Amino acid sequence: MELIVQVCVSGLLLGGIYALISIGLNLIFGVVRIINFAHGEMVMVAMYLTFWLNYFFGMDPYVATIIVLPVMFLFGVLIQRVIVQPIQSSSANMKIFATVALSLILQNVALIVCKGNFRTVQVPYGMSTFELAGIFISVPRLVAFFAALGSITLLYYFLKYSYTGKALRAIVEDHTIARLMGVKVQRLYLLAFGIGCAFSALGGVLLMPFSSVYPTVGIPFTLIAFIVVVLGGLGSMGGTFLAGLFIGVVEAVGGTYVSPALKEAIYFGIFIIAILIRPQGIFGKGKGSEEVGLK
Amino acid sequence: MRTNKIIVAAAILALGLLAVPLYFTSTFILHMFTLVFFYIALTAAWNIPAFGGKFSLGHAAFFGLGAYAASILYVKYGISPLIGIFAGTVCAMLGGVILSFPLIRLKGPFFTLASIAFAEVLRMVAIDWRSMTNGSVGLNIPFKPGWLNLTFTSGMPFYYIALGLAVLVILLAWWIRSSALGYHLRAAAADEDAAKALGINTAKSHFFALMWSSGLTGMIAVFYVFYNYVLEPGTAFSMDLFSLQPAMNGIIGGMGTVWGPVIGAIIMTPLGEFLRFYLGTIQQGLNFVVYGLMLIAVVNFVPGGIVSLMAPWFKKKKSGESSARDN
Amino acid sequence: MDDLLVVRNLTKNFGGLAAVSEVSFEVRRGEILGLIGPNGAGKTTLFNLISGLLASNQGSIKLEGEDLTKMPPYRRSAMGVGRTFQVVRPFDMTVLENVMVPIFTHYKSAKEAKGKAYEILEMVRLENMADSMPSSLTLAQRKRIEVARALATKPKLLLLDEVLAGLNPSEVAENLPLIRQVRDSGVTILFIEHLMDAMMAISERVLVMDQGALIACGTPDEVTSDQCVITAYLGEEAPEC
Repeated sequence: MELIVQVCVSGLLLGGIYALISIGLNLIFGVVRIINFAHGEMVMVAMYLTFWLNYFFGMDPYVATIIVLPVMFLFGVLIQRVIVQPIQSSSANMKIFATVALSLILQNVALIVCKGNFRTVQVPYGMSTFELAGIFISVPRLVAFFAALGSITLLYYFLKYSYTGKALRAIVEDHTIARLMGVKVQRLYLLAFGIGCAFSALGGVLLMPFSSVYPTVGIPFTLIAFIVVVLGGLGSMGGTFLAGLFIGVVEAVGGTYVSPALKEAIYFGIFIIAILIRPQGIFGKGKGSEEVGLK
Repeated sequence: MRTNKIIVAAAILALGLLAVPLYFTSTFILHMFTLVFFYIALTAAWNIPAFGGKFSLGHAAFFGLGAYAASILYVKYGISPLIGIFAGTVCAMLGGVILSFPLIRLKGPFFTLASIAFAEVLRMVAIDWRSMTNGSVGLNIPFKPGWLNLTFTSGMPFYYIALGLAVLVILLAWWIRSSALGYHLRAAAADEDAAKALGINTAKSHFFALMWSSGLTGMIAVFYVFYNYVLEPGTAFSMDLFSLQPAMNGIIGGMGTVWGPVIGAIIMTPLGEFLRFYLGTIQQGLNFVVYGLMLIAVVNFVPGGIVSLMAPWFKKKKSGESSARDN
Repeated sequence: MDDLLVVRNLTKNFGGLAAVSEVSFEVRRGEILGLIGPNGAGKTTLFNLISGLLASNQGSIKLEGEDLTKMPPYRRSAMGVGRTFQVVRPFDMTVLENVMVPIFTHYKSAKEAKGKAYEILEMVRLENMADSMPSSLTLAQRKRIEVARALATKPKLLLLDEVLAGLNPSEVAENLPLIRQVRDSGVTILFIEHLMDAMMAISERVLVMDQGALIACGTPDEVTSDQCVITAYLGEEAPEC
């Protein structure tokens, strides 16, 4: 009994990061209408940046966000401008090819530059835990969870109340009408890609104190983020957050009681079940899901 | 006139290819040709669902299933790979059946994603199921030369086997494309709704395409493993070698056409080997960076693949012929 | 008279919006039935419901007494419901091959399919274009490919979605007799059209939709003098409908 609660709590905390990464994907997905197969690689690049900042300048991972987030925002803008924008009107398959190519390039550049080793950041609080009602809670995971919660709340209010946020939501609702209403679509695509990237980057930074980075670390994140978006529903912040936590718990429970090696099998199972039962998302309305291929 | 010319050209090409092992005794050249043939076959098989616009990045799943089925039968139970060919084909098709569950509901991107996940899951299972697969150590095919064991002392038999496979799969792909199934797939690729409204059970068409594709991939895999003697989860279910590589060959050559995969495999396989051997020793991973850049270039500049660049040339020739006939 | 298609209380909601609400009507065997209404009235949605591309929220659709409501589109096509699309979307293959696609659901041999496709192309007068790519044809010709393709499914009921829209007057004059010719060959026709003159010239009865509901039904003369229809088109407040 103790164990299951313990496992659920650590899964829940990890789920916060999954939610963060998935919300980045959801935003890109909803606004730019592109299936970004290189999304996990954004997490990977952010993790490496954090690692190098720590390695060369002794910068604390949490402090590194000040540099990593803006850099990754610009990186996202650059990807949208250079890779995605030229093929905006091409078929869905062409967009997949382009982002698959991007993920291939990023993974292998990472392999060339950083080699295949597992890299970790050594921080004093990396392994620190405290006990609450008989349950051990890891400090960096708790920080990650609350940082995720906080930034998702910020994004929620930004989308809800600011002019730009409203324009972004308008695009998610209906592209054509948003354009007709004078929304500057191209510029908002850049913004959405940038924010989406920065969110996954934050996920990467928050992971660094308690996990390691290697060139292919991003692959499962792409998969997880897609499952979370499918479960949570396109364009739904709350749904994505809850779905992220859910996946975190499922992974922790499955990893403990079934087999850590079959984590991916569990994801795949959930993915298929989710799609078969409720393709428009468990929590969301799933607007535009038809357009991106979910029906 | 035109058909005669084609027959003559094909005959010369066939004789040339049949004669290659007699003149080039270098194992490297023979190996290169064999590899190109294998990849032509794999890419052409990958390409069958692409007639219907379905783009898989998980064909390593079918490859691995076929490869493991035949190898386990041979290594653990001593059953001849000639029977293993059928077992491998059937197992890969069963994998295709499982992947069809999401396929029935899913359009493009999500099918692609499901296919990646599927191959990854199978790789994990292959590592985990040690009693059958020897885990990540893998299985070794014992060297006992003979037709029954699909093991040979020279590279020559496999040159002809691979050539035969390539020809077989191209012919099958051509036949499928010009049959009812092919027309229905092409219609579904162009406009799924219109195809449905015209009475086409598109889910069924996609399913049959995947059955052909997975079965053929599994069959090719059996030969490939016996050509290489070793089998381990990392290679058999390798995303790079058997999911990405055929997909990349297909896209760069021209996805959904009969000749695109052939052209793609002929260009990309030697290029890949070159990059791996000459640049790979300097920088591991550089070949994939080059692939990625090529892919982005294709998407931006020749979305129809290399074969679409050659189409006007064919058309010109064709119209030239017909005007000659009019005169 | 003999009813081919019977639609009862058909309803489709998109979110909170009723795109088609409680629509009931019947199509008589052998007639040309027109369907008109302002933009956004739900005409194309109604076609999508009948052909099965959209699932209805409630109501029923019966063809010759057979319930189609839960059937997938390809089964409905096999039952005898054919349709064209408002935006012509020929497949990326030659004109002949376009028409061969649906024929392949009945005939497996390519030779037979080719022969049948030629017959249909002759009917729509595209036999000379058989080997051309649709992209090289005029809009009027491409609309005829749509009709040919739909005819190739051997429909009992053919749903035509604006096959005349976007054509110049001489092209309209050219395509209009085709509709009547198709009917005379034994196919019942339900068609959406914005060109009033053309509509009135060939349809025997007309249905009028507005905001998802069916507001009138009758001969062209009856409909054009109907107060509700005039209101729907001119946008005035109707006293009593």
